[in-house]
Amino acid sequence: MAEQVPPLSPREADARVAIDIRAYQADGQLDAARERYGEVVTRYQRRAARIAYHYLRDAADADEAVQDAFIKAYMHIGTFREDLPFEVWFTRILINGCLDRIKARRRRERWIAPPVLDSSGSERDPADYIPSHGPSPEDVVLAEERRQQLMGAVAELPERQRMVFMLSHFDGRSSREVSSMTGLNESTVRVHLFRAIRRLRGLLVTRKIKGQNAGRNNRANR
Amino acid sequence: MRIADVLFRQGHLSEDALTNAILSGEHPVHLEHCEDCSRRARELGLWLTDMRAEALAAADDAFPPEKLALQQSQIMRRLEQLDAPPRVIAFPAQAVGAPRTNSGRRVAPAWLGVAAAAGLVIGVIGGQVSARFTPEAPIAPAPAQTEQVEPEPNVSTPPVNASLLDYDLERHIPDPLRAYDEGTPTMVQTQYASR
Repeated sequence: MAEQVPPLSPREADARVAIDIRAYQADGQLDAARERYGEVVTRYQRRAARIAYHYLRDAADADEAVQDAFIKAYMHIGTFREDLPFEVWFTRILINGCLDRIKARRRRERWIAPPVLDSSGSERDPADYIPSHGPSPEDVVLAEERRQQLMGAVAELPERQRMVFMLSHFDGRSSREVSSMTGLNESTVRVHLFRAIRRLRGLLVTRKIKGQNAGRNNRANR
Repeated sequence: MRIADVLFRQGHLSEDALTNAILSGEHPVHLEHCEDCSRRARELGLWLTDMRAEALAAADDAFPPEKLALQQSQIMRRLEQLDAPPRVIAFPAQAVGAPRTNSGRRVAPAWLGVAAAAGLVIGVIGGQVSARFTPEAPIAPAPAQTEQVEPEPNVSTPPVNASLLDYDLERHIPDPLRAYDEGTPTMVQTQYASR
C-alpha cells in the first residue's frame, strides 16, 4: 500500500518551487524553470496587484511595478532563502519597487503637470463610458465617491503608516509578517497601524461632515 | 485593562485597545459587561470591514481577470526574452577578416585635439600680427543715392493732403494717359471751384 504524502503547506510549496526553479536554471532547462515560475505568478499576482495599486494609486504604474517585481524575483531566485516565506520575500521586492516608483514620480511631477485621472486612478477615454446593465448611475457615482474619499484618505497617510495599514488591513498580514516584509520592528508596526486607523477615521469623518454640510448648503441655495 | 483606560476613560477601552482587539481577534473581558464599549467595538469593526471591502473592490476593478491574464502573459514573455541568449550582430566579414596593418598611418585622437588647438592659436596670433602691419585701405565713400526709392504705400500712414497726392500722381503719369489726365481737373482745382 502506497504511503500517503501529507499535502505541503503554501510555504513549503513555495520553497519547493524555488528549489526546482534553481535546479532547472542550473541544468539549462529554462523553459521548465519558467513554467514552474508561472505557478508562482498565478498564485501571487492578484495580491501583488492589490498591494501595488493601493500603494501607487495608478493602475498602469501598479501593472508595471508588479511585472518588474516578478521579473526581479525570478532573476534573483538564487538568493531566496527557504527559511523566509516566498511571499514575504517577494512582497519586500514589490514594496521597494513601489517606493522607487513613488520617488521617481515625485521627481517627475516637479516638472510635468499630472494627467487628469478618474477616480480609479487611471486615465480614461470618454469612449469607454458605455451604458451598461449594472447598478444605477446614482449608485455608481456614490460608490465612486466613497472609494475616492477612502483612497484619498489612505493617500494622505504618511508613507510608513500607509504601508503598514495596507499590508495589515487590506492584505490581512499579522504584525510579525508585516515586520519581516518591511524591516520594521513588530511593536513599531502596531504603533503605525493604530495611528493610521485613528488618522483615517478622523479624515473620513471630517470629509463626511464636510460633504453633508456642502449638500445642505446646495439644497438651501436652491 | 490599561492604567490609562482606568484613569482617563473611567475604565472604558481606548480606540487603540478596541482596534487591537478587533485586528487580533481577542475579546477583552470589559466588552462583555460594557454596552458602550461593545457598541464602539461593533462600529469600529464594521467600519474596518467596510473599508477593506471597498479598497479591495477598487483594486479588483482596476485589475479585472482579463487584465491579470494579459499581465501574466507579459511577464512570461519578458522572462522568455531574459532567458534567450543575447543575439550578437556580427561585424561585416571584410572588416573582421582583414588583418590590421601597422602602416603607421593611425593617428592617436589626443594628437588631433592638440593639433587643432595649436592651429587655432597660430591662426589668431597670425591674424592679429597681419592686421597690425597691413596699412589701412582708404574707406571708399558710400555711393550717392541717385534714384529716390519710391516708398511703398503704407496702410497705417495718416491721410495726406490733396495737393501732395496730385503732385505725386503727376510725376508718374504714363505718356498714353497724359491726354486723359490733362482733360481731368485736379483735386486742387475741384476744391477751389467748390469754394
